[in-house]
Amino acid sequence: MPYPTALNEIIELFEFLPEAARRETLINYADAAAACGRKEGVAYNLEDVRKDEECTDTVGVFVRVDDEDRVHFAIELGPKVQTLTKAMTAILCRGLNGSTLIEVMAVPADFVPRIIGAELVRLRSQTVYYVLGRMKTAVKMFTDRRRAELP
Amino acid sequence: MNSKFAAYHTPEILVDTDWLAANLETPGIRIIESNEDLLLYDVGHIPGAVHIDWRRDLNDQTTRDYIGPQAFAELCRRHGITPETTLVFYGDKSNWWACYAFWVFQLFGHTKAKILDGGRDKWEAENKPLTRSVNAFPASDYPVPSKRDDEAHRAYFQQTLEHCKAGKKLVDVRSPKEYSGEVTHMPEYPQEGVLRGGHIPGAKSAPWARAANADKTFKSREELEAIYANELGLKTDDDIIAYCRIGERSSHTWFVLKYLLGYNQVRNYDGSWTEWGNMVRTPIEVGA
Repeated sequence: MPYPTALNEIIELFEFLPEAARRETLINYADAAAACGRKEGVAYNLEDVRKDEECTDTVGVFVRVDDEDRVHFAIELGPKVQTLTKAMTAILCRGLNGSTLIEVMAVPADFVPRIIGAELVRLRSQTVYYVLGRMKTAVKMFTDRRRAELP
Repeated sequence: MNSKFAAYHTPEILVDTDWLAANLETPGIRIIESNEDLLLYDVGHIPGAVHIDWRRDLNDQTTRDYIGPQAFAELCRRHGITPETTLVFYGDKSNWWACYAFWVFQLFGHTKAKILDGGRDKWEAENKPLTRSVNAFPASDYPVPSKRDDEAHRAYFQQTLEHCKAGKKLVDVRSPKEYSGEVTHMPEYPQEGVLRGGHIPGAKSAPWARAANADKTFKSREELEAIYANELGLKTDDDIIAYCRIGERSSHTWFVLKYLLGYNQVRNYDGSWTEWGNMVRTPIEVGA
């Protein structure tokens, strides 16, 4: 299953970066995570705000589905979330926004080590997968609710 | 000196954030950041601080062990550290990894070392300066230590097993549910491979976090004694082993017991529950 085009472009960018530049780019994305939050005046179709055992802080996932059935995410992170998780949040918002619901659900998680690199892949950094999981869960919740509301 | 520190067994083992802020450029001091968050140093660090990564820099990459004397000397040389350099360790997660790095440095006898009380969280909370610029210090000629002195500070599995059978003091610093066996990893963390839940027979539960205040500083001596002396019944000359899951949280408790309270014989079992819980034919206890 191919990745959505925007996400694929990000993956390819990271794969060719030397380690120092990879770290710097991840930090730039982490800095950008704050801009991924809810936008004032935007009505979201689903809001899922919670803290669970896989994350160090509360994470809110907000889903808006447009008229063309494409999904747009907003994600709000608590202050204690690790830098890699922040970076992955910004990457996923940029890489998945505008994708179809089916495309989001089909995104495999195997791109994560291609972005963060072998040096940063550790057992204790597994929370980088967390945000993708939450986004998929939110999309599934939205899909299930919509199906349930159908006449 | 900070009035809280004066009551500790080894008052000079800690520095506070104001002291460090006033001594950022004092010669003979090297500030060392050690974190769980792999990119936190790159995001910004205390001016002049160098980064020591617990896995990359302190762990041997091919055996489940720490680096040897040669690699330790090379690490110090890279950061311009000499045996006379005073090291100030700090980091995230209430100084877990700072205490861990401090502990590894003690294995090599670098005793001119201190911990920043409150660590990175307190420094940030006080809006003290952080920088992204990385200092490159002139390489030093740190001599290769004659050996790594594990005996004094570190307990291996077999030693811990004998310790357990002898009914000596064991302190389990994990969360209560990890101790009871209800969970096999601490809340908010992935499972790291252990097959059984529970604790070492005879170990007493004293979660590391009880030794820390909300601002990540260490609790006062009086408060710490209430936990370790009064509740756990630890005596000054007891032979004590602390453990957690991989040895980082227990480094924090090891530091508290040894330097803040003055227990004479405290070792950190770094194999911890990840080793003990998986070891074939090794007894465990479950329940609170």
